[in-house]
Amino acid sequence: MKQNNMLAMILAGGRGSRLHDLTNKVAKPAVSYGGKYKIIDFPLSNCANSGIDVVGVLTQYESVLLNSYVAGGSRWGLDARDSGVFVLPPREKADANLDVYRGTADAISQNIDFVDNYDPEYVLILSGDHIYKMNYAKMLQSHKENEADATIAVIEVPMKEASRFGIMNTEPETGRIVEFEEKPAEPKSNLASMGIYIFNWKLLRKMLVADMKNEESNHDFGKDIIPALLNDDKRLFAYKFKGYWKDVGTIDSLWEANMDLLDKKNGLDLDDHTWKIYTEDVLVLPQYVSSEASIKRAYITQGCIIEGEVRDSVLFTGAKVGVGAKVIDSVLMPGAVVEEGAVVQRALVADGVKISSNVTVGSADSEHIELVAKNVKG
Amino acid sequence: MARALGIVSFSENHIWVEGMETYRSIGAFSFLGRYRVIDFPISNMSNSGIDRIQVYIRRKPRSLVEHLGTGRHYNINSKRGYVQMLFTDSPQENDYYNTDIKVYADHLDRIERASNTHVVIAPAYMVYTQDFDALLNMHEESGADVTLLYHSVDNAKDAYQNCDCLNLNRQKGVDSIERNNGTKKNRNIFMDTYVMKKEVFSELVKEAQKTSSMYTLRRIISDKCMEGEMDIRGVAHKGFFAPITDFKSFYDANLSLLDLKNAKSLFNESWPIYTRTNDSSPAQYFDTADVKASFISNGCLIEGTVENSVIGRGCVIKPGAVIKDSVVLAGAVIGDNVHIEGHVVDKYAKITRMKELVAEPGNPGYVKRNDIV
Repeated sequence: MKQNNMLAMILAGGRGSRLHDLTNKVAKPAVSYGGKYKIIDFPLSNCANSGIDVVGVLTQYESVLLNSYVAGGSRWGLDARDSGVFVLPPREKADANLDVYRGTADAISQNIDFVDNYDPEYVLILSGDHIYKMNYAKMLQSHKENEADATIAVIEVPMKEASRFGIMNTEPETGRIVEFEEKPAEPKSNLASMGIYIFNWKLLRKMLVADMKNEESNHDFGKDIIPALLNDDKRLFAYKFKGYWKDVGTIDSLWEANMDLLDKKNGLDLDDHTWKIYTEDVLVLPQYVSSEASIKRAYITQGCIIEGEVRDSVLFTGAKVGVGAKVIDSVLMPGAVVEEGAVVQRALVADGVKISSNVTVGSADSEHIELVAKNVKG
Repeated sequence: MARALGIVSFSENHIWVEGMETYRSIGAFSFLGRYRVIDFPISNMSNSGIDRIQVYIRRKPRSLVEHLGTGRHYNINSKRGYVQMLFTDSPQENDYYNTDIKVYADHLDRIERASNTHVVIAPAYMVYTQDFDALLNMHEESGADVTLLYHSVDNAKDAYQNCDCLNLNRQKGVDSIERNNGTKKNRNIFMDTYVMKKEVFSELVKEAQKTSSMYTLRRIISDKCMEGEMDIRGVAHKGFFAPITDFKSFYDANLSLLDLKNAKSLFNESWPIYTRTNDSSPAQYFDTADVKASFISNGCLIEGTVENSVIGRGCVIKPGAVIKDSVVLAGAVIGDNVHIEGHVVDKYAKITRMKELVAEPGNPGYVKRNDIV
């Protein structure tokens, strides 16, 4: 808090139901990505790297793993005095019944007391399930320069896809937001909201208190809070983000986001030493490649043992590929095992799943990526 | 509370690893890509329930201090225990007086104040795993004054040159300790690992100091073996054992783990080896990569050929480069079409111009830290 008077709240309650069996037991922010990371490592590391010391993580759906994962904050260096990562599931209070978070805004409303403890001038609202690197300190700087009431990070999307997003219409010169349209049929701009907001806390607090009492409201930032602010003629500005940003909603897009890492000049650049993504440390050997192995275009992390062929694939911590096995255009999540002679193609093999000897899963010309969430026996 | 205080010792003066030791002590040597040699003794202690660990440092402390830091990554409760670094205060350049006895004596009050009843002393420069709790039990059951750990080998003629050997009698009593002079194949190599009561340790340190200012713990124990008044016994170690006592042994120890059987005897899920994470991203293999029989660490960018080698964190291997039978430490860059065989390439070295660096694995070559070749 001492650094920039801004506190961050990460919305990590979502289930991500289009990820099917991957999110049966864990929330979407806890899904593995990029060999050694979990999706929530990205906003948390961005906070740490942007000099934000206090982060609240709002959890709800299947939160046990996520709670223990983020608690303490030492993995991201967020454990110094006056800093910390705080897990905030819905809780029973003296003046209110225990209730689930009814929407993104409600999740913050139910934790007004937590934010008040720190008395921040600014609150940064983040989504726990996006993959990107962003310096929030620069966004705060722009917020201050604009003397804004709220700043919303936006990214340019192809015009033909704009109707899938929440679109900000702005004054071209100043970037001031004049209109917000949720999934417009005929978009007037291609600036999509990234679900990243900076608010002046005093103002947001007032809006949230009003919103809680409004029975018509969905208690959602995009649907309720932002339109209400525009209605009140508040100063809302768009902050243009350039770079890699991905909201992995489906198995196909999660697979694709992993495949992006195979390109030499991929936009995410996880090898950037000035903006490291921190994650859980695991006690495993470096990856071992045997004399029978063949590896081309692959992204592989420690703990893997590769004795077969790996091509155009991403292998997560402790994945194993047996002698004569082939893993092509695929993602092996932590601890996945592909036994001798098995073939895995255009598939995403979930955590700890075993593909028995000589079995084939997935196919080269499938339309969608096959999710393999259970052991496959011969 | 653990019975024993853990002491991680430094190497004696006759041990010097050509090249690499110029930059750091052996404990701080990178090992198998992501570890440091000292991770093994400290993890052994931590896994054995020893939560007070003193690490003694003689020279070139920077690298070791950086790696150990608060010691938190060794899985020790930081309120109840600690990993403490203790230095020799001697300003003398002459290393012969900078003995382990000297530094133990300097800090003897600290050792005596600790509530632990025993000491376990393990060297920072040897790679092995050992349950010290089991060793303490054996020590207590035997009633010995001092227990020494050894490893039986059948190749002492060509290896273990700077190590000492235990000559044992039939009751596993230690008759004498002598330097391995390479005349016999079968030897009990002393692992410079001791277990004894704390009072015994204090007495030995004081007596050694009186005897000679160049005395070491090994020398005084060796005297005691000859005198025959103390009960000094050997316990055999099983499993992987690699003392890092010269350049060749460092190279050999790394490459021997490329045999997965050896790696599995050193690394066991129930006996984790802790180290400091560097938060590197996974390794990236490109179209032209060709990797066989190797350990590859995270953060590497591989476009060339790697065979029978250990590659450290964040190395860049350019197209056409060939690395064989080599140990490449973190952050090295191997340029286009460079051919390296039988070498240890130290940290951050850049090899681009010199296209051939070939040595026999029996007599490995060395590229200096930060060197541009």
